[in-house]
Parts: sequence; structure tokens; C-alpha cells
Amino acid sequence: MQKIRYMLSLVMAALLATLFAAMAFGADARALLKESENRHRTATQQYAGDLTVVNKDGKVRKKGWKSFRQGYAGDARNLIRFIDPPEVKGVGFLSLAKPGKIPDQWLYLPSMKRERRIAAQDRDASFVGTDFNYEDMEEFDHEKYKVALQGEQALEGQPCYVIVATPLETAGKSVYEKKILFLRKDILYLLREDLFRKGDKEPSKRMILADIQKIDGHWVSRKWEMHDLRKGSRTTVLLKEIAFDRPQPANRFTLQNLNREGGD
Amino acid sequence: MTRIRLLLLLLLIPLPVSAQGISGYAETKGFAYAERLNDRDPWLLGWGTLFAKWEQMAAGTQLTASLRAEGITSDEQGNLDFDPADRRLRRTPLSVRDLWLRLPLTPSLDLQMGRFQLGWGKTDGYSPADAFLPRDLSDPFSDEKLPLWAVRLSGQEGTLRYEAVACPITTPWRLPLLGSRNAPLETEGLPAGTVFDEIDSGPPTDGFGALRLLATFGDWDLGAWGRFGVRPAPLLDFRLDRATPTPSGLIIPVERRYAREEAVGIEASRIIGSWILRGEGAALFSRDRDLGNALIGALSAEKGFGDGTLLVTLTGNALDTPVDPVLLFDRSILPALIAAWNRTEDWGEWKLVWSVGLKRGDGLVKGEAGYNLTDLWKVTLGGELPYGSAEGPFGALSAARRVHLALRLSW
Repeated sequence: MQKIRYMLSLVMAALLATLFAAMAFGADARALLKESENRHRTATQQYAGDLTVVNKDGKVRKKGWKSFRQGYAGDARNLIRFIDPPEVKGVGFLSLAKPGKIPDQWLYLPSMKRERRIAAQDRDASFVGTDFNYEDMEEFDHEKYKVALQGEQALEGQPCYVIVATPLETAGKSVYEKKILFLRKDILYLLREDLFRKGDKEPSKRMILADIQKIDGHWVSRKWEMHDLRKGSRTTVLLKEIAFDRPQPANRFTLQNLNREGGD
Repeated sequence: MTRIRLLLLLLLIPLPVSAQGISGYAETKGFAYAERLNDRDPWLLGWGTLFAKWEQMAAGTQLTASLRAEGITSDEQGNLDFDPADRRLRRTPLSVRDLWLRLPLTPSLDLQMGRFQLGWGKTDGYSPADAFLPRDLSDPFSDEKLPLWAVRLSGQEGTLRYEAVACPITTPWRLPLLGSRNAPLETEGLPAGTVFDEIDSGPPTDGFGALRLLATFGDWDLGAWGRFGVRPAPLLDFRLDRATPTPSGLIIPVERRYAREEAVGIEASRIIGSWILRGEGAALFSRDRDLGNALIGALSAEKGFGDGTLLVTLTGNALDTPVDPVLLFDRSILPALIAAWNRTEDWGEWKLVWSVGLKRGDGLVKGEAGYNLTDLWKVTLGGELPYGSAEGPFGALSAARRVHLALRLSW
């Protein structure tokens, strides 16, 4: 009887230790992500992106967009306007974050002269022929995820925290079951995201942020690579003309502006 | 022969050098038909287009101009006339598609003036709010919208958007050659060989005024609109009293007139689960004996499947039309069910559209696949298959069954 009690105590102790460790790591992960957000938050960001989409057969397509952002993470408002190639020139994308919820998103198609709302369930569709989907175009907001520190790992010689982020049900339906984030330890900057769709044991997509530089006093990756590991394709975005904290026109992030043909 | 030369000339024009603010395309398109309605309908048709657009923005002011040059190897093309408002019966080889200036009066209020295109309504496939805007039906399957000369004031205050449009001159619907495979008019009771002589009656000079309000509340997008003025779709008067007998048959003059119409409408869309539902309703009033009133509704449902989208639209008119609805153009297909499936692929995209007239069961199946050879070159293969009762709006076009192949270079 005493032996059974001893065994039960050991099991309880082990469970409690696991629970405390998980809570401790969870708290650490949240604290790290909060600190990361505090460090990298900017009032605005704008850049011009040169996109290269390479499909599994090696066929290359080029695109270009201009991107404007006001706010950050959970309060971000984004406007993207394609400038190249001609077949997508003028296509606009507006995303307005809602705290703790899926953002409202619209796509403006010049051929229709009107905007179309993106349904939450359509967020897995390719974003204008790239390897990004509509959910990938959202700013990462850790408040919409349950997060846990999984450990540490070096990427390209840079020590990183490895954090598992699981979408919260209350934040709306996500395309992904979980995301594994690699946060560079010294500057708390995201270097890689492994994206797992429902039921996947291996990541179906991988986002790599490279060529990290300090511009206007802020760290920023000048090269993004989204790999679709299932399709074998990848999209690279090279960021140019990056600027932070520049005042944006008051109505840039409105449906009226999205519908302005030829506008930014 | 002159048109064939023009088409060849368009294809031989040196490609313009890409410049900042200038975009456009050169396209050559060929159609092959399965049958002919009469000797004037060609078996093969060529269509060459050169389109250039210039855009300039400075201090929030946007100036846009575009020009289209085209050659068509059929009688759908008119003479090289000065027709800045697309008021002639046939397409002129040179036309201005855009010529507009947009000025920001305040950060949230824009004034746009000149020649531009409007896109109203919410439902795809058929929208009562969009249906009053002029169309060019020279190619009855392409559903090409015509630009307008107009002044537009548009703005946003909070979640409310508003748009007021004054169009001082009517741009009428452009119809295909009457009696051709694209506009086969019933000649029952008339002797064989009867042809129609389309009179360029001249549309009225005054246009229309319209106001639209839109608001977004969470997952709801709501809207209301009203308009008054000249309806751009013509009413046809077949002047049998002035028919002229000839050795080959009767020649019947066909005149056009344009009715005045007032209309109000509402629109709403909402995300429900994985669907986006859109609905529109419009009440249209006219004292014209042939046009009458209409109560038109449209309901559409859209769902995404990865890179594909399914769209289903149901639309109808609750009131009977005083004349055969085929003669009322935008109301001709009502009631109808339109189902469309389109998908983006690594190599390009494809779409399949099935429209069915619910009154006579006739329909139209359209399919098209576009292959991107490069970022700039694209080849498109497609076909249109109208079927069913010849009394229905789709079945009547059965002699226009065709396949098409197009090659486009964009810059």
C-alpha cells in the first residue's frame, strides 16, 4: 500500500513538474513575444517589394507591389498595391486588423472596378498567384495564439528561441494548426516560421526572413522567402525603399482609397 | 479587305517601349464558328487590338488616358469616325477608353471627371445596379462595359461611403448587327431574305444622375442607390410600314429610341460560414409603353475552394415585360441561374460558366483557359456553346457557337 502511495506521489510530482515547466515556458514564450513586439513595433512601415515566384518546374514569374502599414500586429492596417506585371497591375489588398479576431480583408480588382471581401475560409487561397495565402498576409499577433517555448536552436549560426504558436479558437478559424517560430535570441527578431496545416506532422510551408539590416533605427528583414513544401514552389520578396514611421495619409487604409483606380 | 489590312497593320506595329506610367497590351484573337445564320456571317473572324494606357499621379491628383485601336474582320466594325462617347452604331477602329482626372477635394472626398468606367452592384453574373450601365455587345459573349463621360463625387466618412454621379450625355448600348448570328431576330411571317436596315437614330444628349451609399458593419456590407434619367439600352422600332421590297427580300428599317427611367435599389452582402452571400433588389419605373416597370432581384453565393471559387447567382424580374424581354437586353435573360467556377493554377487560370434561362430552359456554357507563356505573353483558348430553345435569349444564339484562340502581349 505504501509502495502504491509512493508511486502515486512520484507520478503526481512528475505531472506537476511538467505542468509548472509548461507554464513557465508558456510565460517565457509570451514574454519573449511581447518583448519582441515592443522592440520592433513601429508606427508605420512602407516598402516596395520585388517578388519572384518559382514553381516546382523552375518556371519563374516576377511581380511587384507597394506595401503600406500603419500600426503593428493586433492593430495593424495594411494596404498592398500591385504595380507589376501588367495583368495584376492596380490590384489592391486592404487588411484591417481587429483585436483578437480575424482581420477584415478586401481585394480590389481593376477589371471589376469594385472591391471583393475575402471570407475567412478563403484565407488559404493563393494571394494573387504567390505562395502566400491571405492568412500569411496578416501581421503576426501573438495574442491570437497559445504559445509555448519549445527550446533553442541555431539557424545559420544564430541562436534562436523555438516557440510553438497554436491558434486560439476564439481568434477565429486559422488555416494552420500550429506555427513554429524561430526568434533570434539577441535581437528577438523572427527568422523563420514553419507552418503546419491541420493534421500535418511536417510543415507544409516555411517562411524564411533573411538579410536582416537596421534601417531608420529598426531591424528589418530585406528578403522574405515563402516555401510551399508540398507544391515545391517558392516566392521571394526583396524589400526596397523601406521606410519607418513616415506619416501616412489619413485615408490610406480605407475602402474608398482601395477603390481609387491608379492610387496608392 | 480594308479591315484585314488594318488588322495586319496593328499586328505589325512595333512594340512600344515600356515606360513608367504606360501600360497596355497587343492582342490578336481568332474565332471559328460551327455554323452560319446567313451568307453574311463569316466562318472565321479575326480581332486585333492595341491598347495603351498612361497614368500619372502628382500630389494626390490622378490623370489617366487610354486609347484602343482595333481591327475586326467583320461588319461589326464601323468607319474611322470621331466618336468620343461611343454613340455610333458600330465600333470605331480608334476609341478613347479613359480620359479622366481625379482631384482630392479633401482627404476623404474625391472629384473625378472625364471619361471613365463605373462598376456598381454586388452580385456577380447579373447585378441590377450594374445592368443600367452601357455595354458593347458587338461580341455578345464578352459583356464589355462602355466608359462614360461623367463627373463623380465620392467620399468616405467613418464606415459610410457615398458616390454621386452626373453623366451629361448618353452612351448607349452597342448592339450586334441585327439579323446576324449575334442578334438573330425572329422573322416569322416575313419572306425569306428579309434584312434589317439599322437607322442611326441618334441617342438623346442628356444622360443620367445617380447616388449610391455604402456602409460596412462587421461582416455586413450594405448599400442603397437611386438613379434617374435616360436608360442607355435602346428600344427597337421595326418600321414595317416603311419596309422596302427588293429582289432578294424585304428591307425593314429599324429605329431606336431611348426611354427615361427612375430606379432605386438596395444591396447587401454578408459572410456566413464559408460562404459570402450577396443580394440586390431594384425597383425600376418607366412610363414607356414597351419598357414598363420592373422589380429585379439577384442573389448570389460564393465559396472558395483553395485557389478555386464557385459562384452561383439566381436572378429574376417579378413583373412581366410589355414586350418580348429579348428586346430589352439587360432584362432578356431573366429569370436566370448563373454558375461559375474559376481557378488559378501555376500555369495560368481557367474558368467555366454555365448560364441557364429559367423560362425556356436554354443556356450557355462558356469555358476558357489562359496559359502564361511568360510574365508578358499569354495564350488563351476558349469556347462558347449556347444551346436550347431558339426562343430563349441563349438558345437564339445557337449559330454563334464557336471556339477562340488569343495571343496577348502585355507591357
